[in-house]
Amino acid sequence: MSAGLLAGPTDGVLVSTPGGRVSTFIITTLNGISYAFILFLLAAGFSLTFGVMGVINLAHGALYVLGAYFGLAIVNSLGSFWAGVVVAAVGVGLVGLGIYFFFLRHLYGKVPEQAVLTIGLGYALANIILWVWGPFAKMGMTPELFVGVVRVGDLAFPIYRLFIVGVGIAVLIVLWWMQDKTRVGAIIRAGMDNKEMTRSLGINYGLVSTAVFLFGAALAGFAGILGAPVLGAFPSMGDALLLLTLMVVVVGGTGYIQGTVLGALIIGLVDTFGKAYIPQAALFTSYVIFIVVLLVRPSGLIGRKVF
Amino acid sequence: MATQVKPGVFTGKLFARRAVATAPAERSARAFLPTILPVIVIGVLILLLPTFVPSYIQSLVTKMMIFALFGVSMNILWGFAGIPTFGHAAFFGFGGYCAGILIVHGGVGNFWINLVLAFLLTGLLAAGLGIPAFRVYGVGASDNPIYFLLVTLAFGELLSRVAISARSLTGGSTGLAGIPYPQGVLPGLHINSHSFYFLTFVIVVVCLFLIYRLVNSHYGYALRGIHDNERRMQALGYNTWLYKYTSYIVAGAFGGVAGVLFAYFGGVMVPGNMGMAMTDIVFLIVILGSASIYLGPIVGAIVVVGVEYLASLYVPDRWPLIMGAIIVFVIMVIPQGIGVLLLTGWRRLVRHGAS
Repeated sequence: MSAGLLAGPTDGVLVSTPGGRVSTFIITTLNGISYAFILFLLAAGFSLTFGVMGVINLAHGALYVLGAYFGLAIVNSLGSFWAGVVVAAVGVGLVGLGIYFFFLRHLYGKVPEQAVLTIGLGYALANIILWVWGPFAKMGMTPELFVGVVRVGDLAFPIYRLFIVGVGIAVLIVLWWMQDKTRVGAIIRAGMDNKEMTRSLGINYGLVSTAVFLFGAALAGFAGILGAPVLGAFPSMGDALLLLTLMVVVVGGTGYIQGTVLGALIIGLVDTFGKAYIPQAALFTSYVIFIVVLLVRPSGLIGRKVF
Repeated sequence: MATQVKPGVFTGKLFARRAVATAPAERSARAFLPTILPVIVIGVLILLLPTFVPSYIQSLVTKMMIFALFGVSMNILWGFAGIPTFGHAAFFGFGGYCAGILIVHGGVGNFWINLVLAFLLTGLLAAGLGIPAFRVYGVGASDNPIYFLLVTLAFGELLSRVAISARSLTGGSTGLAGIPYPQGVLPGLHINSHSFYFLTFVIVVVCLFLIYRLVNSHYGYALRGIHDNERRMQALGYNTWLYKYTSYIVAGAFGGVAGVLFAYFGGVMVPGNMGMAMTDIVFLIVILGSASIYLGPIVGAIVVVGVEYLASLYVPDRWPLIMGAIIVFVIMVIPQGIGVLLLTGWRRLVRHGAS
């Protein structure tokens, strides 16, 4: 299940003519970076809710898949990729809002309970997706604007992947700006430090955290539809994606968006290079990194201990 | 009485010793009606069951017993020491793979040798993984166990990846097949699916008894004390790290025994048995059945395995949805678990009967 998914990004998307070691290296690097930005989009929402609110949402992988299916349904019926993107983000955001409002809100501070509950929700969501859309993998259509490849010398790189890198960077800048420069970001950071104090300053922290959760879920849906043309979409992919998300967030560090992008780059590059150069160990290179980072620096490379 | 974890009661050495020392005869007489009698009745019922029910029910009950042991072994960690782990299936699967590899590749046919070796090897694995895992586990209830959860989750997934990769030994992602029913259990005794039921019963009962003695020993009271207030236990001079670490090993080793039985039961081990999916099932078993009661996970195992069986009969495709719905229902509505409800109901009944 996960093996097929993880193999996605290097599956002959890049066409390398004669090429020697150098071009293989460049291709692998580019692949790794574009994969890293898919991971970043995937993990950003999780990192936000986990790092900012201390809420662990293990249904995040299932929300990503839901986003992919919502988006693809719209793309196939309306024919517009952008409408699909909007519907995926809004639809999954609303599902996330429901999850927060009905369940997670009542489990504040009970981490094992949150984890088990969201795992249960993830199972249920994945099975509903299977029920509604069937077990077969769907491939997202690349929007017409980004069909084709960029050629540099004898190397070819799909435009869509460059587009994903661009979107990833844009999301990074927006989140960074929100975190450091805006009032909302200041409230969120204040709430991270001292929730009671923030409340007593007259700030409706409950509303802020609900909004943050909605935004995090919407990011999952957004990532789902954007990733669909590269990774495809099938109902059971949520588990593998969830593990990748956890690895990215933990390696990079919780609480800051810079940490998430660093984690995504490390996991994306290690995974891609591992597959290209030591395929026998490819299934667990990123796990080894994950465990080593957890043991040496549990709070991640950049970041602060959330709890 | 003694089977329930009461916050704040067993927090010191003195209390633990006194609890064990107070008039054992009187204690056991008082405990007979509410606790020991139902256990004996259930045991006898399980032993008599095969004469009345068809063989598929018998195999269902075998599975329930195996998962009951699995749940109780995890509950040493969660219910008693207060350590939530997401990687307990790693030991279950590892135990099963140990037995399977010994039989299929090692040519070791004898059941007892397999069982003991798997028990020891799983304990060794837990001892190896426990050292790094407890590095990220904080001290005291105020510390969040999230990093410990993530590390143990990663261990389980890592091991299942290893099982996928080491194809020559483990059969890869299709699993290790061809594990026969146990051989050499007793001289002249041939084990088939019918007698495997009784063999499982004996092994599970012995393991449950050992775990029961453990969690009600001085050691077990110390674990409960750590659950309630680890800082205070440290102040009393306990090496709490050692207690938590050894409880991880013991829980892992008994989880391995459940895995061995499961390998014989199904005849096949797949990498998924070590990963997140299996951990979720045992987590559900413990939560549903009550983590605070020793026998709770047994109730959980009966319900979960039973519902899974019914789902596989009527709506095989919807089992994950049903399981998810049960998890959500239990966490939101009865977070204390069914076991607590049953126990309070039973106690009320006994009290009314006595007065």
